[in-house]
Amino acid sequence: MADHGQTEQMLEMYIYETTQNIEQLEAVILAAENADRYDEDSINEIFRIMHTIKGSSAMMLFDSLAALAHKMEDLFYFLRERQPAFIDYSLLSDLVLEGIDFMKVELQKIKNGDPADGEAGQLLQSIENYVTVLKEQTTAAAETAATAAGQLKTPMPAAADSSIYKAVLHFAADCGMENIRAYTLVLQLQEQVAELQYLPEDLDSADSAELIREKGFTLFLRSDKSYAELEEILAQTLFLERLELSQLPAAETAAAGAKDGDVPETMQQLKERTAQETNLAAGSQAVISVSVSKLDQLMDLVGEMVIAESMVTQNPDLKGLQLDNFEKAARQLHKITGELQDLVMSIRMVPLATTFHKMHRLVRDMSRQLNKEVKLQLLGEQTEVDKNIIEHIADPLMHLIRNAMDHGLERKEEREALGKPAVGTITLEAKNAGSDVLILVKDDGRGLNKAKILERAQAQGLLTKPAAEMTEQEIYELVFLPGFSTKKDVTEFSGRGVGMDVVANNLQLVGGSVAVDSVAGEGCTFTLKIPLTLAIIDSMNVKVGNSCFTIPIASIKECLRAQQHTLLHDTNGDEMLMVRGVCYPIIRLHQYFALDTPITDLSEGILIMVEHDKQGCLLFVDELLGQQEVVVKALPAYIRNRHQSKGLSGCTLLGDGSISLILDVGGLLN
Amino acid sequence: MTRVLVVDDAAFMRMAIKNMLESNGMEIVGEAENGAVAVKKYVELKPDLVTMDITMPEMNGLDALKAIMQLDPQAKVIMVSAMGQEAMVKEAIMSGAKSFIIKPFKADHVLKTINSIL
Repeated sequence: MADHGQTEQMLEMYIYETTQNIEQLEAVILAAENADRYDEDSINEIFRIMHTIKGSSAMMLFDSLAALAHKMEDLFYFLRERQPAFIDYSLLSDLVLEGIDFMKVELQKIKNGDPADGEAGQLLQSIENYVTVLKEQTTAAAETAATAAGQLKTPMPAAADSSIYKAVLHFAADCGMENIRAYTLVLQLQEQVAELQYLPEDLDSADSAELIREKGFTLFLRSDKSYAELEEILAQTLFLERLELSQLPAAETAAAGAKDGDVPETMQQLKERTAQETNLAAGSQAVISVSVSKLDQLMDLVGEMVIAESMVTQNPDLKGLQLDNFEKAARQLHKITGELQDLVMSIRMVPLATTFHKMHRLVRDMSRQLNKEVKLQLLGEQTEVDKNIIEHIADPLMHLIRNAMDHGLERKEEREALGKPAVGTITLEAKNAGSDVLILVKDDGRGLNKAKILERAQAQGLLTKPAAEMTEQEIYELVFLPGFSTKKDVTEFSGRGVGMDVVANNLQLVGGSVAVDSVAGEGCTFTLKIPLTLAIIDSMNVKVGNSCFTIPIASIKECLRAQQHTLLHDTNGDEMLMVRGVCYPIIRLHQYFALDTPITDLSEGILIMVEHDKQGCLLFVDELLGQQEVVVKALPAYIRNRHQSKGLSGCTLLGDGSISLILDVGGLLN
Repeated sequence: MTRVLVVDDAAFMRMAIKNMLESNGMEIVGEAENGAVAVKKYVELKPDLVTMDITMPEMNGLDALKAIMQLDPQAKVIMVSAMGQEAMVKEAIMSGAKSFIIKPFKADHVLKTINSIL
């Protein structure tokens, strides 16, 4: 198991098999619960699955999992062996399902490469309590005699022709099942010696294993073998750590057994302590786990409800009617749907901490491999983002960090020569910015190399205008183009040339974007901008001709009426408007989407200033329809596939049942 | 080379044992996922050594051990057990198992146990 590959492979197998086992377990329990009884087969099966999980987990050193599986195994062992007459099946199911959930969480942690650090203490306690209850109910059954260690029943008679030996064997500390090891030895010895007695006498109970561990296994043998012969036989015992063999004078034999009379006291103490522990009350459960698909469903339903609500309250039939009471009720409804929506959103929000912490491992592994000392600094890891989005940003983050470590940060000697701290720093920072979350990946390395980027882009034919005319920002943005990679040699971690464009694409999928900023010699910063959530956005509905468009409020800066005198034209004849000393290009939506509208004069319609990635522009629309929360739906595949969705990010249903297209401001600006 | 048959219902455990033994110069001639298959494979492969899990579906390790001992009284079977199975291990020893290892096991424990009976 020493080499890494094998461990990895075993971990994979462990995760796979345990996941399957847990799924199977869940199925068995749910079936049993439906039938309202656990039949013998299912009890057997649960016992076996728990047993397997226990063994595998212990092998992989996932102690909390192993401990929990062990407790559950004990529980079902008890059920199987004793078959108690009355079982509270629902309680039993609850316990087991709770255990399953704990295991799932731990497994997920393991899958994510995080330490399986969950504590099942309370759950263990509840299971133990339940076993105790069950045991009490079945007190009619014979009490297990705990007289593991007593005195020798009959003093050993000294025989003339053979000597009596006393042997105390201590087994290696972690060999386990000392009582059975002792039993194996006894079985062997019985053939070789004339008479044999041993302490503790009862080798069946686990208590005796404990005793042997503490006090050793004491044997009294009568044999005509010599001291040396016996010593040789005993020394062969597996996992023997220490052997004390002595030849006894006949008289001592009878008394010898009494020596260990203090043993039961220790056991008594042990038993009392266990009992006390059992009495600790198990608190009630404050957190439940819910399947993600249910949450998604809930989210969808709430979305539909938001639409339905506006369908009702903005119903065209109500137009022009004086409906005071209706308005009042509608406001109440609106308030509740709003709260409901907030709640559903907050349920889906997950802190970025897990994703961020995953990076520790990456940085650690890479610093070893690349022989660069790097410190990972995490800031704002408690920032919350929609669960679906988190799934999409783990890979881009990993990629950016890899790049920073591989290309960005210099070697130690180089850094020292430059007067930088020898240890490089990568900062991963998350912060809220309106309805977006910004994630910054910052390194203090050498920064992006403009000359190299240009050279590379030229070689790949990616330049669309002369290099001399490009701003710094534009040059840096080149790294996001498909097929761009400045590093010629492919390293293990980065530089396969499928890098940054994949990052950009991944982010676009969730409606985010990535920007880069770099200072030569001081490092570079990638800024990922991701929406807080995907499903419901606050938006402004606007009208162009007969069509309705939806603009995310987050990207709207202001709305204004144009004054003719501030209108400018650039050399291409494109319209620009000067607003407080800054020129903004105007995009006429009716032209952009080729729509018929009577309003083509700028002063008749309205201009909406939108901003994306620090670029701004003015959208010319006929009129504003109003602000509304809309549920984002993806564009149908037949529209997306025809590549005619430029400038559109999705669509939504409006209150009157009509469809509105959601504008993709970033797309419009490009 | 010692030819070993690994019996365990958990593929993970089989893999663990296999890795352990193979890296110590033993040959895994077969794997079985339950007692019934184990008995069949024992007859087929005649391995030098069997590692036998106790808790398995279909036929458990004890029954498989007994069946194997009946077919071949010289069979060398090591039980793979877990804490809490003392009674079964004891029964296995009485039924002819040569020794036992306890999950979670360490490589040196396993090897020590195996070497002591070979």
